[in-house]
Amino acid sequence: MTLAVQVNSLVKKYGSNTAVDNISFNIYKGEVFGLLGPNGAGKTTTLEIIEGLRMPTLGEVYVEGLSPIRDTKELRKVLGVQLQISTLPEVMRVDEAMELICTFKGIKPRYDLLERFGLVKQKKQQYGKLSTGQKRRLQLALAICGNPKVVILDEPTAGVDVQGRAQLHNAIRELRKNGVTVVIATHDMAEAESLCDRIAIIINGKLAALGSPEEVTAKGSFQTRITIRTKKGNLTSQGNIKKATFASQKENNALWLCTDTASAIIEMLSAIDADDEVLVLRVERPSLEERFLELMEGGNS
Amino acid sequence: MKALIKQLSIQLKMDVRDKGTLMVFYLVPLGFFIVVGAVFSSVNPEIKPILSATMAIFSTTMGAVIGIPPAIVRMKESGAIRAYQASGIPMISVVITTGLSALIHLSIVSIAISLTAPFLYGANMPESITGYAVTLLFLLLCNVSIGLLLGAVAKNTQTATLLSQAVFMPSLMLSGIMFPTSLLPTPLQMIGNLFPATYINHAFRGLAYRFDTEIAPHTSMAIIMSVTILTLALSIRYLGKITSVR
Repeated sequence: MTLAVQVNSLVKKYGSNTAVDNISFNIYKGEVFGLLGPNGAGKTTTLEIIEGLRMPTLGEVYVEGLSPIRDTKELRKVLGVQLQISTLPEVMRVDEAMELICTFKGIKPRYDLLERFGLVKQKKQQYGKLSTGQKRRLQLALAICGNPKVVILDEPTAGVDVQGRAQLHNAIRELRKNGVTVVIATHDMAEAESLCDRIAIIINGKLAALGSPEEVTAKGSFQTRITIRTKKGNLTSQGNIKKATFASQKENNALWLCTDTASAIIEMLSAIDADDEVLVLRVERPSLEERFLELMEGGNS
Repeated sequence: MKALIKQLSIQLKMDVRDKGTLMVFYLVPLGFFIVVGAVFSSVNPEIKPILSATMAIFSTTMGAVIGIPPAIVRMKESGAIRAYQASGIPMISVVITTGLSALIHLSIVSIAISLTAPFLYGANMPESITGYAVTLLFLLLCNVSIGLLLGAVAKNTQTATLLSQAVFMPSLMLSGIMFPTSLLPTPLQMIGNLFPATYINHAFRGLAYRFDTEIAPHTSMAIIMSVTILTLALSIRYLGKITSVR
């Protein structure tokens, strides 16, 4: 796999405060990479260093082989950025924003992106009169108008309603389909699970976890929960089941915990009498949110 | 260059839409001219001959020093400058566009004042139109540069307002525009000499109206030009610090 972004032993200090503490990770071309962490964890600082808006104290960063510090001009051609806190002048119209950014990139205005992001009706509308979702979509359109190879989105769906969120998610998936590398910082674990190929969790400036959402979740101490109810009310005690552990019983539903889900289900179904019937069978895998909270509490990392 | 022209044209369109900008650059200076012009021409007849210049200094100083700083502070606070930077729009083009658009608005206002003052309040026409025009241009450039610097230095809107008043009020009271500086105590006269409005007043009197002045008009112009270059350089430096990679 080819590298799109390399972050090597990155450190950023503000006086005596270490915002980013020796972080290293790679982002591969064409993947959606999520940067997760609580407020003040160092996500935005890390992204701003990648974007060339901040200088690292130590370490190296490369975007498409370019140094954000030394190759600033070239970087702007390959990188599209949507900042966490950024705004346009309130009285700037949507089409003017597109014209302005495209003129500086030396390209014709990309009105097609306004159509793609459902902003055609708002073309002549002032930025200050757009909804939060429309503002976010416009910022995304402006971030990708120069056909960048890498797009960085800092909390792209913050404050956006369900419909706007779905539109932004579709746009991000489309970018990945077109081979664009997308880096997103988010608080939303469900968003990270559904969108990201790989994630990095940063806590107190340190890299706490790295891998696919499934890999990161699997490393936690939480087990898969299997809820089962049969007509005869069997499987309400450990019995001969070896691949799962009986946890509790509530309203005839038995709760089991396991790590090898498939083997556990096969064993449990085999233990049911031939004339019995399964009324409820529910499998709940541990969520990324549970793993995230575990890491926050200093758990298994 | 093409990008800069585009940015300036968008900036001018935005200014026309922005009620605050119209208020600061047009409504307040013109209202001030109408009201204060009437008061001055009746209360202080000595000022009447040079009323066009006096009102131009008042109005452009007000527009630039009070109007530009909050606009820059708003851009800094909202993250617009950083968003521009991330999109590949250099900070210098933001400074140039903001300065040029203010210059255009204030030119329109000061020309309107200069043309109507003789008819409205019986102000004299300048002895030298060229001298008047050149001094007016220097006045505009100097005031816009000071406005840019105040905006660049101020960390928030409150500080911007405070700094604006700290420059505007002494420019108004101590520069000899409202009344002769000889009426002021010596310490205040010395403080007045720190403000470019004093030299602009001398330059207008000497170059445009051919009056004898305490400071030679060319010396005044050289001081105004130096202040303009210095404040412009400082404002670029300060705004550069905000967008620099740290």
